[in-house]
Amino acid sequence: MADELLSAPHVLEYDYRRSLGEVLSRFFTGLRDRKILGVKTNAGRVLVPPSEYDPESGDATSDDWVEVGPGGVVKSWAWVNEPLGRHLLDHPFAFALIQLDGADTALTHAVDAGSEASMRTGMRVTARFADDTIGAIGDIVAFVPEEGS
Amino acid sequence: MPERCAVIGVGQTHHTAKRIDVSQAGLLREAALRALEDAGCQWSDIDAVVIGKAPDMFEGVMMPELFLAEALGCVGKPMFRVHTAGSVGGTTAIVASQLVKSGVHGRVLTVAYEKQSESNAMWALSIKIPFRQAIVAGAGGYFAPLIRGYMQRSKAPEDVGIRVALKDRQNALKNPYAHLKFPDIDFDQVANSPMLWDPIRYLETCPSSDGACALVIADEKHAAKAPKQPAWIQATAMRSEPTQFAGRDTVNPQASRDAADELWKKAEITNPREEIDCCEIYVPFSWFEPMWMESLRFAEEGSGWKMTYEGATALDGDLPVNMSGGVLSSNPIGASGMLRFAEAANQVRGEAGEHQVPGAKRALGHAYGGGSQFFSMWVVAQDPL
Repeated sequence: MADELLSAPHVLEYDYRRSLGEVLSRFFTGLRDRKILGVKTNAGRVLVPPSEYDPESGDATSDDWVEVGPGGVVKSWAWVNEPLGRHLLDHPFAFALIQLDGADTALTHAVDAGSEASMRTGMRVTARFADDTIGAIGDIVAFVPEEGS
Repeated sequence: MPERCAVIGVGQTHHTAKRIDVSQAGLLREAALRALEDAGCQWSDIDAVVIGKAPDMFEGVMMPELFLAEALGCVGKPMFRVHTAGSVGGTTAIVASQLVKSGVHGRVLTVAYEKQSESNAMWALSIKIPFRQAIVAGAGGYFAPLIRGYMQRSKAPEDVGIRVALKDRQNALKNPYAHLKFPDIDFDQVANSPMLWDPIRYLETCPSSDGACALVIADEKHAAKAPKQPAWIQATAMRSEPTQFAGRDTVNPQASRDAADELWKKAEITNPREEIDCCEIYVPFSWFEPMWMESLRFAEEGSGWKMTYEGATALDGDLPVNMSGGVLSSNPIGASGMLRFAEAANQVRGEAGEHQVPGAKRALGHAYGGGSQFFSMWVVAQDPL
């Protein structure tokens, strides 16, 4: 038997690089211009967020792009009562699947609804963009309940 | 009775330092599409996909296969990931061939890749692990003493490595997919290039590349309908051993010799030098050509360097080695082993273009990985055994 069982911290850090390619570069440069873009599959489905390849057919998605939203419908959601430091918002919010108007798939993002009681599946929300956009998913700060809905 | 199986399609990317124009998925998709086209296949013709790449830490994506399913047309199909460090491209092709040989699948797509520009393999190979002394020297620092060991054992002339590098770099000029091309390369340029890890010079070293390679492997029924000459897989072998273990022969590892012996036996080859027409072997640092020539039984122990010296391994020699320019000219690590297997297949298919060995009927594809501890190899031929 060992007198003592040893362990030590092992911190591993490195800067990596990511290349987005044509399809996702177009989506994120669109966000920088405050536009949410969807790409059509060859079968005509509008994917938002876009995908380089259509999971259903295995084909590359088309070069046919459409602007969607900024409004959409909450398809499902989970309330986050105690946000952590790296969450998008510093106060309670919902993670939600949001199907934007004109899209056939749902996007995961935050809904800044104030309270859990104001959340419901099927509610309408709209995108709130950041003052300074950089070409990243955080260019949409959050979705907020659509006025009058 | 195992199924006969053959490579019916080969695809690769134009290997280069940085493919920032494509995502990782886009990179391997290019190779996959070229292999499918070469095989006359559609995505729907493929029964299963086997992918391989070197350590996840090289790009910092854990289990990249999770996000590659749609790029490889394998939604709703079996997908397998293989991992054996630098030899993984070869091992991945072997696993794919076994899925066909076993009769489980009729046509399998196998893809291997690395996008080295998204990270730094030197760093990934040099991490400091608690309680252990870090070497912090990357692959070259690990392999340089092994080469010194070989030089001492064989009493080989000091310039053997330079000659290997010159040959491979000249061969690369004939390969449209090769990464490094030095049009006016000569002996003095290699000899005078900076010493990186003594005795390995800069021009005796492989580059860091972005690239991918793909194969379509088919059973006899589908190979018969392939548009081009199939490369029949006559034999495969794979062996492993520890990285660090006192007494292990790191210069000529037991696992390498055992894998070669098994391979030749399975392929019914008694004299590899006579019965193999050309080889693509894993030579990331020039001196590994004579080292593997001996380990693979093409030369007596201590005399592998003479093959290089006498020109036997040149494109017009009696046993051409690394006709494509080899790992020295293109090194997308995860794909590098599969590229060796693919180039061997293309030689016997008559599809090697300007670096074709005339009349090549039987070829060796070889890869090694880790600390000279994983060995994967296959024999492909114009005819099945």
